[in-house]
Amino acid sequence: MAALFPPRATKWGRGVLIGGGLALLLVPVAAMAWVRTSWARGEHIVVQQPIPFSHALHAGTFAIDCRFCHSEVEWSANAGMPPTDRCVTCHTPLWRSTAVLTPVRTSLATGTPIPWRRVTQLPAFVYFNHAMHVSNGVACATCHGDVAHMTVVRQVVPLTMQWCVDCHRDPWPHLPSQPAAVTVVASQASSLPTARTGLIAEYRIHQFTNCTTCHR
Amino acid sequence: MPPLNSDAVRQIAADLSRRDFLALLGASMALAGVTGCVREPDEPVYPYVHPPDAGAGTDLHFATAMALDGYATGLVVRSVGGRPIKIEGNPLHPASHGAAGALHQASLLGLYDPARARAATTNGRTLNWSAALRSFSLPALRQLAGQRGAGVCLVLDPTASPVTAFLLARLRTALPDATVHFHHTIESATVLDATRMAFGQPLLPLVDLSNAATIVAIGADPLASGPWHLRHARDFGARQRSIGRVQLHVAETSPSPTGSLASNRLAAAPSVLSSVALALLDRVARQQGVAAVRVAPVTLTSMAAAWVDAAAADLLAHRRASVVVAGDQAPQDVHLAVTLLNALLDNAGHTVRYVPSPLLDAGDRSHRADVLAERLGDGGTSALIITASNPVYTAPFDLPFAAPCQRATQSLYLGDYHDETAAVTQTFLPHAHYLESWGAERAYNGVISPVQPLIAPMWSGHTVDELLAALSGDARSGLALLKACCPAAATADALRRGIVDSTEAPSHATTIRWSALPVLAPPALPRSHTIEVAFPAGGVHDGRFSGNAWLQELPDPTTKLTWDNALLLGSGTAARLGVSNGDVLELRVDRATITAPALIVPGHAEDSGSLSLGYGRRGPGTRARLIGASTAPLRRAASPFTTESVQCVVTGQQHTLAVTQQHWSIAGRASELIAGAPAKALPAPLYHGTPPGHDGFGADQWAMTIDLDLCTGCSACVVACQAENNIPVVGKTGVLHSREMHWMRIARYTGDNGNAISQPMLCQHCEDAPCEYVCPVNATVHSDDGLNEMVYNRCVGTRFCSNNCPYKVRRFNWVNYHEEMTPVDELLNNPDVTVRARGVMEKCTFCVQRLRTAQERSALAGAPRTGPVVTACQQSCPTGAIIFGSLTNPDDAVAASAADPRAFRALDSLGTRPRVHYLTRRKDPA
Repeated sequence: MAALFPPRATKWGRGVLIGGGLALLLVPVAAMAWVRTSWARGEHIVVQQPIPFSHALHAGTFAIDCRFCHSEVEWSANAGMPPTDRCVTCHTPLWRSTAVLTPVRTSLATGTPIPWRRVTQLPAFVYFNHAMHVSNGVACATCHGDVAHMTVVRQVVPLTMQWCVDCHRDPWPHLPSQPAAVTVVASQASSLPTARTGLIAEYRIHQFTNCTTCHR
Repeated sequence: MPPLNSDAVRQIAADLSRRDFLALLGASMALAGVTGCVREPDEPVYPYVHPPDAGAGTDLHFATAMALDGYATGLVVRSVGGRPIKIEGNPLHPASHGAAGALHQASLLGLYDPARARAATTNGRTLNWSAALRSFSLPALRQLAGQRGAGVCLVLDPTASPVTAFLLARLRTALPDATVHFHHTIESATVLDATRMAFGQPLLPLVDLSNAATIVAIGADPLASGPWHLRHARDFGARQRSIGRVQLHVAETSPSPTGSLASNRLAAAPSVLSSVALALLDRVARQQGVAAVRVAPVTLTSMAAAWVDAAAADLLAHRRASVVVAGDQAPQDVHLAVTLLNALLDNAGHTVRYVPSPLLDAGDRSHRADVLAERLGDGGTSALIITASNPVYTAPFDLPFAAPCQRATQSLYLGDYHDETAAVTQTFLPHAHYLESWGAERAYNGVISPVQPLIAPMWSGHTVDELLAALSGDARSGLALLKACCPAAATADALRRGIVDSTEAPSHATTIRWSALPVLAPPALPRSHTIEVAFPAGGVHDGRFSGNAWLQELPDPTTKLTWDNALLLGSGTAARLGVSNGDVLELRVDRATITAPALIVPGHAEDSGSLSLGYGRRGPGTRARLIGASTAPLRRAASPFTTESVQCVVTGQQHTLAVTQQHWSIAGRASELIAGAPAKALPAPLYHGTPPGHDGFGADQWAMTIDLDLCTGCSACVVACQAENNIPVVGKTGVLHSREMHWMRIARYTGDNGNAISQPMLCQHCEDAPCEYVCPVNATVHSDDGLNEMVYNRCVGTRFCSNNCPYKVRRFNWVNYHEEMTPVDELLNNPDVTVRARGVMEKCTFCVQRLRTAQERSALAGAPRTGPVVTACQQSCPTGAIIFGSLTNPDDAVAASAADPRAFRALDSLGTRPRVHYLTRRKDPA
């Protein structure tokens, strides 16, 4: 009777055993390494918006305050997205007939909102409050990056719980030393002390590390 | 809301082989890791096109009113992003004073009910509103039903709306011979007949419990049902807190929330209640030497006589500070006896005022069922227009709607659902939910309460007012009609506050016409081998809420029955009939029969049974189809809420009842739970993290007290909690598996006389919490401000915490309940609270979202918190039994309440140091 297995089979068998063992080890390691990369956190995803809106132009070149469009940021948990009306405020005289503004005109004519897409997204079980952060000295740029130089906005910080908690445990170094640096509170700048310690006292900055600060 | 007929919990385990089970186990473990890597779904952000005038990005609250049986209760509704998501009571409204009942709060679920009717139809064809109404224009009606409209018959729910009154009057001018009828479902106008007999004019008693030291309730549940019950409960609670225990004498058939607090309770069959009322009247009249009261001799059992003795003694000791009340379903002789008693005791003008009924045509023929039956039966109706809620189902046996609907040349029904009535009418119009409507209603005391919409009609619904206007050729919208017919209710101030000032009904001076009164005689006692059956309003009211899963799953305050109605029986009667819980009985009257399962209730009157209304729907389009037993075949229009001489036959069949009485019970520990030895001085709170006085979150130390002297067990708090915290329903099968998700359970400890202590049991937020140190993943931890926090995203579902919790208040998500929600009813979710997934433990959080919001508001304002933080349960509690706040804040009432000599902590001997304090039930004064 012919041999059931050819001689090569031993080599293959060894290979499969060793390879399988390595795979058992490496696949989880690779997976765990992957989730720690900025790619897994979605930091490099370029989001296509319905309108090729340039933050670099609006917030950079024209130096429009963030709050002009994201007007709810000082009192609401959500920063707020600009209503179509607000686009039209400037864009009635400016660039009114360009093709890129077609969705704005359509929205105004039909009364349907412009479907913007999220760039910065937190899980549903995280309750982030914009007003609490910007009115306590956390600058927009701390989390959203320097959007004044971004033509297409993307996520620039990890947005992991570790990243949030680092700041919640030790908020003081993350706050700007000059109140003017918090662009959204610039209007209150005259009444604010300039030193960081003063700022911390003024804003009553504490560690907020209770779970229900964010998870409710 | 899961479909009512599907099992939310699929019983896969029952038919799995061991091999399949292991394969599933392995797959589940592998897939469990994958779920953590899924990114949030990429949903667009929709900004406004035109921003609102104010309030973008913040919660808005609007005052509105909900009418039930014609009487309005003022509500404040929270709206987030254009969606109404929580209903609370309006503190300025006289019928609410800030409280909201279970029905009011659960009505929110009805707004988002995907089963609601969405389109107008005529003979099955979908049409728009105006096309469907074409054959109901004035010329068409005149042609069809005579120039004066003699063939037109309108059937409405009882209403007190000034707008409806105006439009109805206009329609009556246009069609003078048309008849208008008001169809009553859970109460009757007997009180008006009684006051007409006593005073010569039909008047409603308006009871003020804030000055009542003695309350006698005969067949009544003043603290938990009826159009004025929230106000009764508010006043009763304030009175109990300030003066001490009120003497409460209750005679009733089936144990009620009010009865559970009674110091002197009598369980009596409905016919015996009449005798008891007359005996009490006779006793009081004799003691006062009033000879004008003529009562025929009444025979009473020794127990009933003892009850009458005690009640009479208390009443006579508290002239002008006592009150006698009868229920909305009580017969006329009980109402008459009660009216005379209040007059004899000089209570009129002190604890009870008499006001004209706000209802349209109150006391008139148009409210009488026999007149309606005659009109429907005479065959002269060519155009039948129905806006009453599903009368084909709710009407008693001898008030048949179905045949007249089919006989009429034209029939029209304005309804919420494609229900039994829609099935027999030709034209169907979807009715707008009150949260989609403009209008005005009146409260029980006559105060005009504006109704304003929180959302545009989701399914092209219209209001009764819009229909009545359209019938007379007026196509104006509800808002235009409100402005035209009741401009006072359309002012900005009235809409903001939810009431129109100075519209309260005036009190009438009353004199009893003694000479005109007949000799009062009790009804003959029924035959002994039959039972009397009472038909009280059930948890789903008259059936209009039978598709409401929150109300279906809310355990009945007394029986703890969910998803069903059952024939409630006293233990003696059950023994005589030889039935136990779940045995199906056939109930026979004349030739009509129904079947219903038996449920034995301690404290229920013997020789009688109770079967609640609103169940046993048979029509198409309701998801509550075939749940429970319909009462209609047993009921007669002449006495719609009791039927005598019902024969009971044991069928031998069994029906499984989902009763939660034994769920999560803590056997053998009851005494320590409901009356733990009050601590002489409670130890200072144990602080975690930052000490008090610190400026951070630790500055507040949250705690709650619950007064067992005030808790009636009405369960409004359970619905409030469910609405606030996105708590799913699990269906009957889920309840049978003890998987109900309510964060609060109202534990009921029944006494020997049918009175009971109701103890709301929720997470006790123990300072030394047993759940915290057994969690292997730190998913439940303690916060600086004394909360036992539950972190859903950390939880891996070991359920160790639940096992180690001595109070059994933790709930586990066995399945992804929210997956059964449609895109429509997902709109209901409170965006401030995480929707929990399968495999996650949850429990009461002390409404942490409200606490954190209050703290964030004070931080944004740069000033300490002003005003109390109110949890959902506390907000809704009609008697004000729940007090919540911070122990360290002198403005909060909770510290003083926790220092009450009656305060104790449940199972304190375990050393868990709970932050929930109970105030023990006071002993009745000897």
